[in-house]
Amino acid sequence: MASSSSSQLPPSVFNPRRHVGVHAERVSDVASTDFPGHYPGEDHTWSLARFKENLTVSVKRLSQRSVEFDLVGVDASIANAFRRIMIAEVPTIAIEDVFVWNNTSVIHDEILAQRLGLIPLNVDPALFSPRLPGDIPYDRNTLVFQLDIECSRGAKGAIINEYVTSGDLKWVPQGEQESVFGDLVPTATNKDIVIAKLRPGQVINVELHAIKGVGKEHAKWSPVATATYRLHPLVLLNPSKPIPPHLAQKFASCFSPGVVKVSPDGEVSIDDRHLRKETMSREVLRHKEFEGSVELKRVRDWFIYSVESEGPYAPEVLFPESIKVMRGKIAAIRAAAEALLADSEGPDAGAAAAGPDADGDVEMEP
Amino acid sequence: MNAPNRYELYVLEEGERPVEVTEDTKIPNAATVKIVKQDHTLANLLRSQLLSMPQVTFAGYKVPHPLHPYFLLKIQTDGSVTPTQVLETACTKLIGTIATLEAKFKREFTYNADGAVQEDAYGVPVTGDGLEGRSYIDF
Repeated sequence: MASSSSSQLPPSVFNPRRHVGVHAERVSDVASTDFPGHYPGEDHTWSLARFKENLTVSVKRLSQRSVEFDLVGVDASIANAFRRIMIAEVPTIAIEDVFVWNNTSVIHDEILAQRLGLIPLNVDPALFSPRLPGDIPYDRNTLVFQLDIECSRGAKGAIINEYVTSGDLKWVPQGEQESVFGDLVPTATNKDIVIAKLRPGQVINVELHAIKGVGKEHAKWSPVATATYRLHPLVLLNPSKPIPPHLAQKFASCFSPGVVKVSPDGEVSIDDRHLRKETMSREVLRHKEFEGSVELKRVRDWFIYSVESEGPYAPEVLFPESIKVMRGKIAAIRAAAEALLADSEGPDAGAAAAGPDADGDVEMEP
Repeated sequence: MNAPNRYELYVLEEGERPVEVTEDTKIPNAATVKIVKQDHTLANLLRSQLLSMPQVTFAGYKVPHPLHPYFLLKIQTDGSVTPTQVLETACTKLIGTIATLEAKFKREFTYNADGAVQEDAYGVPVTGDGLEGRSYIDF
Protein backbone atom coordinates (compact mmCIF):
# COMPACT_ATOMS: atom_id res chain seq x y z
CA MET A 1 0.00 0.00 0.00
CA ALA A 2 1.64 3.19 -1.12
CA SER A 3 1.31 6.19 1.10
CA SER A 4 3.55 9.14 1.74
CA SER A 5 5.30 7.18 4.46
CA SER A 6 6.21 4.18 2.25
CA SER A 7 6.77 6.39 -0.78
CA GLN A 8 8.39 5.78 -4.15
CA LEU A 9 9.51 9.40 -4.15
CA PRO A 10 12.86 10.28 -2.59
CA PRO A 11 12.25 11.42 1.02
CA SER A 12 13.82 14.83 0.34
CA VAL A 13 10.79 15.66 -1.82
CA PHE A 14 8.78 15.98 1.38
CA ASN A 15 11.10 18.68 2.72
CA PRO A 16 8.74 21.66 3.09
CA ARG A 17 11.47 24.06 1.97
CA ARG A 18 11.23 22.56 -1.51
CA HIS A 19 7.48 23.08 -1.76
CA VAL A 20 5.49 25.67 -3.63
CA GLY A 21 2.05 25.87 -2.05
CA VAL A 22 -0.99 25.70 -4.33
CA HIS A 23 -4.06 27.27 -2.78
CA ALA A 24 -7.56 27.99 -4.03
CA GLU A 25 -6.77 31.42 -5.41
CA ARG A 26 -3.05 31.92 -5.05
CA VAL A 27 0.30 30.20 -4.89
CA SER A 28 2.77 30.62 -2.05
CA ASP A 29 6.52 30.22 -1.44
CA VAL A 30 7.39 30.62 -5.08
CA ALA A 31 10.95 31.90 -4.65
CA SER A 32 13.74 29.55 -3.65
CA THR A 33 15.34 30.13 -0.27
CA ASP A 34 18.56 28.12 -0.54
CA PHE A 35 21.02 30.96 -0.81
CA PRO A 36 23.49 32.30 1.76
CA GLY A 37 22.09 34.51 4.48
CA HIS A 38 18.50 33.34 4.28
CA TYR A 39 18.51 30.84 7.12
CA PRO A 40 20.60 32.01 10.11
CA GLY A 41 23.44 29.66 10.94
CA GLU A 42 23.03 27.53 7.82
CA ASP A 43 25.52 27.44 5.00
CA HIS A 44 23.94 27.50 1.58
CA THR A 45 27.05 28.52 -0.34
CA TRP A 46 27.03 27.13 -3.85
CA SER A 47 29.35 24.20 -4.29
CA LEU A 48 29.85 22.03 -7.34
CA ALA A 49 30.07 18.86 -5.26
CA ARG A 50 26.70 19.47 -3.62
CA PHE A 51 25.15 20.43 -6.93
CA LYS A 52 26.41 17.22 -8.53
CA GLU A 53 25.00 15.20 -5.69
CA ASN A 54 21.53 16.72 -5.92
CA LEU A 55 21.25 16.86 -9.69
CA THR A 56 19.24 14.14 -11.40
CA VAL A 57 18.25 13.86 -15.03
CA SER A 58 15.94 11.09 -16.14
CA VAL A 59 14.19 10.42 -19.42
CA LYS A 60 10.51 9.70 -19.17
CA ARG A 61 9.46 9.37 -22.77
CA LEU A 62 11.27 9.58 -26.08
CA SER A 63 9.63 9.41 -29.48
CA GLN A 64 10.53 10.43 -33.02
CA ARG A 65 9.51 14.00 -32.47
CA SER A 66 9.25 14.62 -28.75
CA VAL A 67 10.93 13.94 -25.46
CA GLU A 68 9.87 14.26 -21.85
CA PHE A 69 12.51 14.30 -19.15
CA ASP A 70 12.90 15.28 -15.51
CA LEU A 71 15.50 17.71 -14.29
CA VAL A 72 15.73 17.67 -10.51
CA GLY A 73 17.93 19.86 -8.34
CA VAL A 74 18.48 22.98 -10.42
CA ASP A 75 17.36 26.54 -9.81
CA ALA A 76 14.48 27.94 -11.83
CA SER A 77 16.84 30.41 -13.48
CA ILE A 78 18.84 27.57 -15.02
CA ALA A 79 15.78 25.61 -16.08
CA ASN A 80 14.24 28.70 -17.60
CA ALA A 81 17.44 29.71 -19.38
CA PHE A 82 17.52 26.38 -21.21
CA ARG A 83 13.85 26.58 -22.08
CA ARG A 84 14.36 30.05 -23.52
CA ILE A 85 17.47 29.00 -25.42
CA MET A 86 15.75 25.98 -26.98
CA ILE A 87 12.98 28.25 -28.24
CA ALA A 88 14.96 31.28 -29.27
CA GLU A 89 18.68 30.67 -29.63
CA VAL A 90 19.38 27.25 -31.08
CA PRO A 91 20.07 27.93 -34.77
CA THR A 92 18.25 26.34 -37.70
CA ILE A 93 17.95 26.94 -41.43
CA ALA A 94 14.81 28.59 -42.84
CA ILE A 95 13.79 30.25 -46.05
CA GLU A 96 14.51 33.98 -45.85
CA ASP A 97 14.43 35.35 -49.40
CA VAL A 98 11.72 34.52 -51.92
CA PHE A 99 12.22 35.75 -55.50
CA VAL A 100 8.90 35.56 -57.29
CA TRP A 101 9.27 35.10 -61.06
CA ASN A 102 5.65 34.24 -61.57
CA ASN A 103 2.69 33.78 -59.28
CA THR A 104 -0.78 33.65 -60.75
CA SER A 105 -2.31 31.76 -57.81
CA VAL A 106 -4.85 33.33 -55.49
CA ILE A 107 -2.24 33.49 -52.73
CA HIS A 108 -0.55 36.89 -52.73
CA ASP A 109 3.23 36.97 -53.08
CA GLU A 110 3.87 38.17 -49.52
CA ILE A 111 1.52 35.59 -47.98
CA LEU A 112 3.19 32.89 -50.06
CA ALA A 113 6.61 34.07 -48.92
CA GLN A 114 5.49 34.02 -45.29
CA ARG A 115 4.17 30.46 -45.64
CA LEU A 116 7.35 29.29 -47.34
CA GLY A 117 9.48 30.81 -44.60
CA LEU A 118 7.72 28.79 -41.91
CA ILE A 119 8.47 25.39 -43.49
CA PRO A 120 10.92 23.44 -41.28
CA LEU A 121 13.90 22.16 -43.27
CA ASN A 122 15.93 19.06 -42.46
CA VAL A 123 19.33 20.74 -42.90
CA ASP A 124 22.04 20.45 -40.25
CA PRO A 125 22.78 24.07 -39.24
CA ALA A 126 26.35 23.11 -38.28
CA LEU A 127 27.17 22.98 -41.99
CA PHE A 128 26.32 26.64 -42.42
CA SER A 129 27.54 29.99 -41.23
CA PRO A 130 25.10 32.84 -40.61
CA ARG A 131 24.61 35.43 -43.33
CA LEU A 132 24.26 38.91 -41.92
CA PRO A 133 22.64 41.76 -43.83
CA GLY A 134 25.05 42.98 -46.48
CA ASP A 135 26.93 39.69 -46.68
CA ILE A 136 27.31 38.11 -50.09
CA PRO A 137 25.37 34.84 -50.51
CA TYR A 138 27.60 31.87 -51.24
CA ASP A 139 27.50 28.10 -50.79
CA ARG A 140 28.45 28.17 -47.07
CA ASN A 141 25.63 30.47 -46.00
CA THR A 142 22.79 30.08 -48.47
CA LEU A 143 20.72 27.14 -49.60
CA VAL A 144 18.74 27.54 -52.82
CA PHE A 145 15.42 25.90 -53.63
CA GLN A 146 13.26 26.16 -56.69
CA LEU A 147 9.49 25.90 -56.62
CA ASP A 148 8.18 25.77 -60.18
CA ILE A 149 4.74 24.30 -60.50
CA GLU A 150 1.85 24.67 -62.90
CA CYS A 151 -1.62 23.31 -62.46
CA SER A 152 -3.31 21.72 -65.46
CA ARG A 153 -6.25 19.58 -66.39
CA GLY A 154 -5.42 15.97 -67.15
CA ALA A 155 -7.38 13.13 -68.69
CA LYS A 156 -11.06 12.79 -67.65
CA GLY A 157 -11.00 16.21 -66.02
CA ALA A 158 -8.49 15.25 -63.31
CA ILE A 159 -6.61 18.22 -61.96
CA ILE A 160 -2.83 17.87 -61.86
CA ASN A 161 -0.88 19.76 -59.20
CA GLU A 162 -3.96 21.03 -57.42
CA TYR A 163 -2.03 21.17 -54.14
CA VAL A 164 1.39 22.77 -53.87
CA THR A 165 3.09 21.06 -50.94
CA SER A 166 6.44 21.37 -49.23
CA GLY A 167 7.49 18.20 -51.06
CA ASP A 168 7.51 20.18 -54.33
CA LEU A 169 10.54 22.21 -53.23
CA LYS A 170 13.55 21.29 -55.36
CA TRP A 171 17.01 21.80 -53.99
CA VAL A 172 19.44 23.50 -56.34
CA PRO A 173 22.98 22.65 -55.15
CA GLN A 174 25.44 25.54 -55.18
CA GLY A 175 29.22 25.34 -55.23
CA GLU A 176 30.52 22.47 -53.14
CA GLN A 177 27.15 21.78 -51.49
CA GLU A 178 26.53 18.68 -53.61
CA SER A 179 29.59 16.92 -52.16
CA VAL A 180 29.04 18.27 -48.61
CA PHE A 181 25.47 17.02 -48.36
CA GLY A 182 25.95 13.78 -50.29
CA ASP A 183 22.88 11.63 -49.78
CA LEU A 184 21.28 14.03 -47.31
CA VAL A 185 19.27 15.98 -49.83
CA PRO A 186 17.90 19.13 -48.16
CA THR A 187 14.11 19.03 -48.06
CA ALA A 188 11.27 19.93 -45.75
CA THR A 189 11.02 17.70 -42.66
CA ASN A 190 7.37 17.18 -43.56
CA LYS A 191 6.54 16.72 -47.24
CA ASP A 192 2.80 17.24 -46.88
CA ILE A 193 2.52 20.86 -45.80
CA VAL A 194 0.11 22.58 -48.18
CA ILE A 195 1.62 25.85 -49.37
CA ALA A 196 -1.07 26.86 -51.86
CA LYS A 197 -3.98 25.47 -53.83
CA LEU A 198 -4.10 26.01 -57.58
CA ARG A 199 -6.70 25.82 -60.35
CA PRO A 200 -5.87 24.75 -63.92
CA GLY A 201 -3.74 27.36 -65.66
CA GLN A 202 -2.32 28.91 -62.48
CA VAL A 203 1.44 28.97 -62.02
CA ILE A 204 3.87 29.45 -59.16
CA ASN A 205 7.51 29.93 -60.05
CA VAL A 206 9.73 31.15 -57.23
CA GLU A 207 13.35 30.89 -56.16
CA LEU A 208 13.96 30.47 -52.45
CA HIS A 209 17.08 31.29 -50.46
CA ALA A 210 17.35 29.67 -47.03
CA ILE A 211 19.81 30.97 -44.42
CA LYS A 212 20.84 30.21 -40.87
CA GLY A 213 19.19 32.12 -38.05
CA VAL A 214 17.86 31.96 -34.50
CA GLY A 215 14.34 31.99 -33.10
CA LYS A 216 14.65 35.36 -31.42
CA GLU A 217 14.98 37.01 -34.80
CA HIS A 218 11.96 35.21 -36.24
CA ALA A 219 9.97 32.23 -34.95
CA LYS A 220 10.55 30.37 -38.24
CA TRP A 221 14.09 29.66 -37.02
CA SER A 222 12.88 28.08 -33.79
CA PRO A 223 13.84 24.38 -33.76
CA VAL A 224 11.00 23.41 -31.42
CA ALA A 225 7.25 23.33 -31.69
CA THR A 226 7.04 23.62 -27.93
CA ALA A 227 9.62 23.55 -25.18
CA THR A 228 7.97 23.82 -21.79
CA TYR A 229 8.42 22.66 -18.24
CA ARG A 230 6.15 22.27 -15.26
CA LEU A 231 6.88 21.53 -11.64
CA HIS A 232 6.24 18.08 -10.23
CA PRO A 233 2.88 18.00 -8.40
CA LEU A 234 2.59 16.74 -4.85
CA VAL A 235 -0.53 15.90 -2.85
CA LEU A 236 -0.05 15.67 0.90
CA LEU A 237 -2.69 14.04 3.10
CA ASN A 238 -3.06 15.20 6.66
CA PRO A 239 -2.82 12.08 8.88
CA SER A 240 -4.61 13.81 11.76
CA LYS A 241 -7.69 14.47 9.64
CA PRO A 242 -8.27 11.42 7.44
CA ILE A 243 -10.93 11.28 4.73
CA PRO A 244 -14.04 9.45 6.04
CA PRO A 245 -14.68 6.21 4.07
CA HIS A 246 -18.05 7.34 2.72
CA LEU A 247 -16.39 10.36 1.07
CA ALA A 248 -13.42 8.42 -0.32
CA GLN A 249 -14.81 8.07 -3.87
CA LYS A 250 -15.77 11.73 -4.00
CA PHE A 251 -12.27 12.62 -2.83
CA ALA A 252 -10.66 10.43 -5.46
CA SER A 253 -12.75 11.99 -8.21
CA CYS A 254 -11.32 15.42 -7.33
CA PHE A 255 -7.96 14.31 -8.76
CA SER A 256 -6.71 12.94 -12.06
CA PRO A 257 -7.48 9.23 -12.51
CA GLY A 258 -5.01 7.03 -10.63
CA VAL A 259 -3.63 9.71 -8.32
CA VAL A 260 -5.77 8.73 -5.35
CA LYS A 261 -6.16 5.07 -4.44
CA VAL A 262 -9.11 3.90 -2.41
CA SER A 263 -8.71 0.60 -0.57
CA PRO A 264 -11.72 -1.79 -0.22
CA ASP A 265 -12.38 -0.54 3.31
CA GLY A 266 -12.50 3.07 2.14
CA GLU A 267 -9.02 4.11 3.15
CA VAL A 268 -7.51 6.83 0.95
CA SER A 269 -3.86 7.01 -0.16
CA ILE A 270 -1.80 8.76 -2.83
CA ASP A 271 -0.25 6.72 -5.65
CA ASP A 272 3.12 8.39 -6.23
CA ARG A 273 3.59 6.68 -9.57
CA HIS A 274 0.66 8.55 -11.05
CA LEU A 275 1.26 11.78 -9.18
CA ARG A 276 2.94 13.45 -12.15
CA LYS A 277 -0.32 13.14 -14.07
CA GLU A 278 -2.16 15.29 -11.54
CA THR A 279 -3.49 18.40 -13.28
CA MET A 280 -3.69 20.43 -10.04
CA SER A 281 -7.26 21.37 -10.87
CA ARG A 282 -7.77 22.38 -7.20
CA GLU A 283 -11.22 20.81 -7.30
CA VAL A 284 -10.57 19.32 -3.86
CA LEU A 285 -10.20 22.81 -2.37
CA ARG A 286 -13.78 23.69 -3.35
CA HIS A 287 -15.31 21.16 -0.96
CA LYS A 288 -15.76 22.17 2.68
CA GLU A 289 -15.64 18.57 3.93
CA PHE A 290 -12.05 18.12 2.71
CA GLU A 291 -10.79 21.33 4.29
CA GLY A 292 -7.61 20.75 6.28
CA SER A 293 -7.22 17.13 5.24
CA VAL A 294 -5.20 17.70 2.09
CA GLU A 295 -2.52 20.08 0.85
CA LEU A 296 -1.60 20.69 -2.78
CA LYS A 297 2.07 21.41 -3.46
CA ARG A 298 4.60 21.48 -6.24
CA VAL A 299 8.28 20.63 -5.90
CA ARG A 300 10.17 23.82 -6.65
CA ASP A 301 13.29 22.29 -8.19
CA TRP A 302 11.74 19.29 -9.97
CA PHE A 303 11.20 20.32 -13.57
CA ILE A 304 9.28 18.10 -15.96
CA TYR A 305 10.41 19.21 -19.39
CA SER A 306 8.47 18.49 -22.52
CA VAL A 307 10.22 19.27 -25.79
CA GLU A 308 8.76 18.76 -29.26
CA SER A 309 11.26 19.06 -32.06
CA GLU A 310 10.12 20.37 -35.42
CA GLY A 311 13.35 20.88 -37.31
CA PRO A 312 16.56 19.03 -38.15
CA TYR A 313 17.37 18.10 -34.55
CA ALA A 314 16.34 14.83 -32.94
CA PRO A 315 14.40 15.69 -29.78
CA GLU A 316 17.09 14.34 -27.45
CA VAL A 317 19.86 16.48 -28.94
CA LEU A 318 18.01 19.77 -28.48
CA PHE A 319 18.92 20.04 -24.82
CA PRO A 320 22.66 19.40 -25.39
CA GLU A 321 22.51 21.97 -28.20
CA SER A 322 21.03 24.53 -25.83
CA ILE A 323 23.78 23.72 -23.33
CA LYS A 324 26.33 24.45 -26.06
CA VAL A 325 24.75 27.83 -26.76
CA MET A 326 24.63 28.63 -23.04
CA ARG A 327 28.30 27.75 -22.58
CA GLY A 328 29.18 30.03 -25.45
CA LYS A 329 27.31 32.90 -23.83
CA ILE A 330 28.86 32.46 -20.40
CA ALA A 331 32.34 31.92 -21.82
CA ALA A 332 32.04 35.23 -23.66
CA ILE A 333 31.00 37.03 -20.48
CA ARG A 334 33.79 35.40 -18.49
CA ALA A 335 36.37 36.42 -21.05
CA ALA A 336 35.04 39.97 -20.96
CA ALA A 337 35.06 40.00 -17.13
CA GLU A 338 38.65 38.78 -17.14
CA ALA A 339 39.54 41.55 -19.55
CA LEU A 340 37.93 44.06 -17.19
CA LEU A 341 39.95 42.66 -14.29
CA ALA A 342 43.15 42.96 -16.28
CA ASP A 343 42.20 46.53 -17.18
CA SER A 344 41.56 47.51 -13.58
CA GLU A 345 44.85 46.05 -12.39
CA GLY A 346 46.58 48.58 -14.62
CA PRO A 347 48.70 48.22 -17.72
CA ASP A 348 51.75 47.09 -15.74
CA ALA A 349 50.00 44.07 -14.17
CA GLY A 350 47.97 42.99 -17.17
CA ALA A 351 50.85 43.23 -19.65
CA ALA A 352 50.14 43.71 -23.33
CA ALA A 353 48.06 40.62 -23.95
CA ALA A 354 45.21 41.45 -21.58
CA GLY A 355 42.94 44.05 -23.18
CA PRO A 356 40.46 43.22 -25.91
CA ASP A 357 41.50 44.23 -29.40
CA ALA A 358 39.42 46.28 -31.81
CA ASP A 359 37.02 43.38 -32.36
CA GLY A 360 36.46 42.93 -28.63
CA ASP A 361 38.36 39.62 -28.79
CA VAL A 362 40.37 38.72 -25.75
CA GLU A 363 43.63 36.82 -25.76
CA MET A 364 43.40 33.97 -23.28
CA GLU A 365 46.34 32.26 -21.62
CA PRO A 366 46.82 28.75 -23.06
CA MET B 1 8.42 50.72 -40.14
CA ASN B 2 10.89 52.22 -37.66
CA ALA B 3 11.48 48.97 -35.75
CA PRO B 4 15.13 48.23 -35.06
CA ASN B 5 16.78 45.58 -37.23
CA ARG B 6 16.13 42.19 -35.70
CA TYR B 7 19.73 41.05 -35.98
CA GLU B 8 20.70 43.90 -33.64
CA LEU B 9 19.34 41.70 -30.84
CA TYR B 10 22.40 39.48 -30.93
CA VAL B 11 25.11 40.82 -33.22
CA LEU B 12 27.72 43.04 -31.58
CA GLU B 13 28.27 46.25 -33.45
CA GLU B 14 31.62 47.30 -34.85
CA GLY B 15 33.98 47.90 -31.89
CA GLU B 16 31.26 47.34 -29.29
CA ARG B 17 32.43 45.70 -26.06
CA PRO B 18 30.21 42.94 -24.68
CA VAL B 19 30.69 44.01 -21.05
CA GLU B 20 31.19 47.41 -19.45
CA VAL B 21 31.58 48.20 -15.76
CA THR B 22 30.62 51.37 -13.93
CA GLU B 23 31.85 51.57 -10.36
CA ASP B 24 29.19 52.85 -8.00
CA THR B 25 30.39 56.08 -6.37
CA LYS B 26 27.84 56.20 -3.55
CA ILE B 27 27.82 52.59 -2.33
CA PRO B 28 31.00 50.77 -1.26
CA ASN B 29 32.08 47.66 -3.20
CA ALA B 30 29.30 48.05 -5.72
CA ALA B 31 29.32 48.18 -9.48
CA THR B 32 26.87 48.17 -12.34
CA VAL B 33 27.77 45.87 -15.20
CA LYS B 34 26.25 46.56 -18.58
CA ILE B 35 26.08 43.42 -20.70
CA VAL B 36 25.26 44.08 -24.31
CA LYS B 37 23.33 41.85 -26.75
CA GLN B 38 22.04 39.53 -24.06
CA ASP B 39 18.62 39.19 -22.45
CA HIS B 40 16.78 37.70 -19.47
CA THR B 41 18.13 34.24 -20.31
CA LEU B 42 21.62 35.11 -19.17
CA ALA B 43 20.72 37.93 -16.80
CA ASN B 44 18.54 35.89 -14.49
CA LEU B 45 21.04 33.03 -14.54
CA LEU B 46 23.93 35.29 -13.50
CA ARG B 47 21.82 36.99 -10.83
CA SER B 48 20.81 33.72 -9.18
CA GLN B 49 24.38 32.39 -9.33
CA LEU B 50 25.69 35.57 -7.72
CA LEU B 51 23.11 35.34 -4.95
CA SER B 52 24.31 31.85 -4.08
CA MET B 53 27.81 33.15 -3.32
CA PRO B 54 28.45 34.30 0.26
CA GLN B 55 30.67 37.26 -0.73
CA VAL B 56 27.74 38.89 -2.54
CA THR B 57 25.52 41.15 -0.47
CA PHE B 58 23.37 42.29 -3.37
CA ALA B 59 22.76 41.18 -6.93
CA GLY B 60 19.96 42.24 -9.21
CA TYR B 61 19.37 42.94 -12.86
CA LYS B 62 17.09 45.00 -15.06
CA VAL B 63 16.36 45.29 -18.74
CA PRO B 64 15.74 49.05 -18.97
CA HIS B 65 13.76 48.85 -22.21
CA PRO B 66 12.49 45.77 -24.04
CA LEU B 67 13.63 47.12 -27.41
CA HIS B 68 17.18 47.84 -26.23
CA PRO B 69 19.19 44.62 -26.33
CA TYR B 70 21.20 44.95 -23.13
CA PHE B 71 20.77 44.54 -19.39
CA LEU B 72 22.27 46.08 -16.26
CA LEU B 73 23.54 43.83 -13.52
CA LYS B 74 24.09 45.48 -10.17
CA ILE B 75 26.48 43.72 -7.78
CA GLN B 76 27.55 44.64 -4.28
CA THR B 77 30.07 42.53 -2.40
CA ASP B 78 31.15 42.38 1.23
CA GLY B 79 34.54 43.83 0.31
CA SER B 80 36.59 40.64 0.26
CA VAL B 81 36.47 40.62 -3.55
CA THR B 82 35.59 43.19 -6.18
CA PRO B 83 32.31 42.96 -8.10
CA THR B 84 34.18 42.15 -11.33
CA GLN B 85 36.10 39.35 -9.67
CA VAL B 86 32.93 37.90 -8.24
CA LEU B 87 31.27 38.07 -11.66
CA GLU B 88 34.18 36.20 -13.14
CA THR B 89 33.95 33.47 -10.48
CA ALA B 90 30.21 33.29 -11.00
CA CYS B 91 30.79 32.59 -14.71
CA THR B 92 33.32 29.89 -13.89
CA LYS B 93 30.93 28.25 -11.46
CA LEU B 94 28.07 28.41 -13.94
CA ILE B 95 30.20 26.71 -16.55
CA GLY B 96 30.87 23.97 -14.00
CA THR B 97 27.15 23.66 -13.30
CA ILE B 98 26.27 23.42 -16.94
CA ALA B 99 29.05 20.96 -17.73
CA THR B 100 27.71 18.71 -14.97
CA LEU B 101 24.22 19.03 -16.33
CA GLU B 102 25.37 18.17 -19.84
CA ALA B 103 27.29 15.13 -18.65
CA LYS B 104 24.33 13.83 -16.65
CA PHE B 105 21.94 14.41 -19.51
CA LYS B 106 24.13 12.64 -22.05
CA ARG B 107 24.77 9.77 -19.67
CA GLU B 108 21.04 9.34 -19.11
CA PHE B 109 20.39 9.03 -22.83
CA THR B 110 23.27 6.69 -23.70
CA TYR B 111 22.33 4.58 -20.70
CA ASN B 112 18.84 3.96 -22.04
CA ALA B 113 19.86 3.61 -25.67
CA ASP B 114 22.17 0.74 -24.81
CA GLY B 115 19.19 -1.21 -23.55
CA ALA B 116 20.57 -1.22 -20.04
CA VAL B 117 18.35 -1.31 -16.98
CA GLN B 118 15.24 0.76 -17.60
CA GLU B 119 14.27 2.86 -14.66
CA ASP B 120 10.87 4.26 -13.99
CA ALA B 121 10.07 7.79 -12.90
CA TYR B 122 11.52 7.21 -9.45
CA GLY B 123 14.71 5.39 -10.29
CA VAL B 124 13.27 1.94 -9.63
CA PRO B 125 14.28 -0.66 -12.23
CA VAL B 126 11.30 -1.67 -14.31
CA THR B 127 10.57 -5.40 -14.48
CA GLY B 128 8.32 -5.28 -17.52
CA ASP B 129 4.70 -5.11 -16.44
CA GLY B 130 2.55 -2.06 -15.93
CA LEU B 131 2.46 1.40 -17.44
CA GLU B 132 6.00 2.38 -16.56
CA GLY B 133 7.54 -0.33 -18.73
CA ARG B 134 6.29 1.43 -21.83
CA SER B 135 8.09 4.67 -21.12
CA TYR B 136 9.40 4.86 -24.70
CA ILE B 137 6.06 4.62 -26.48
CA ASP B 138 5.53 6.77 -29.52
CA PHE B 139 2.48 8.98 -29.72
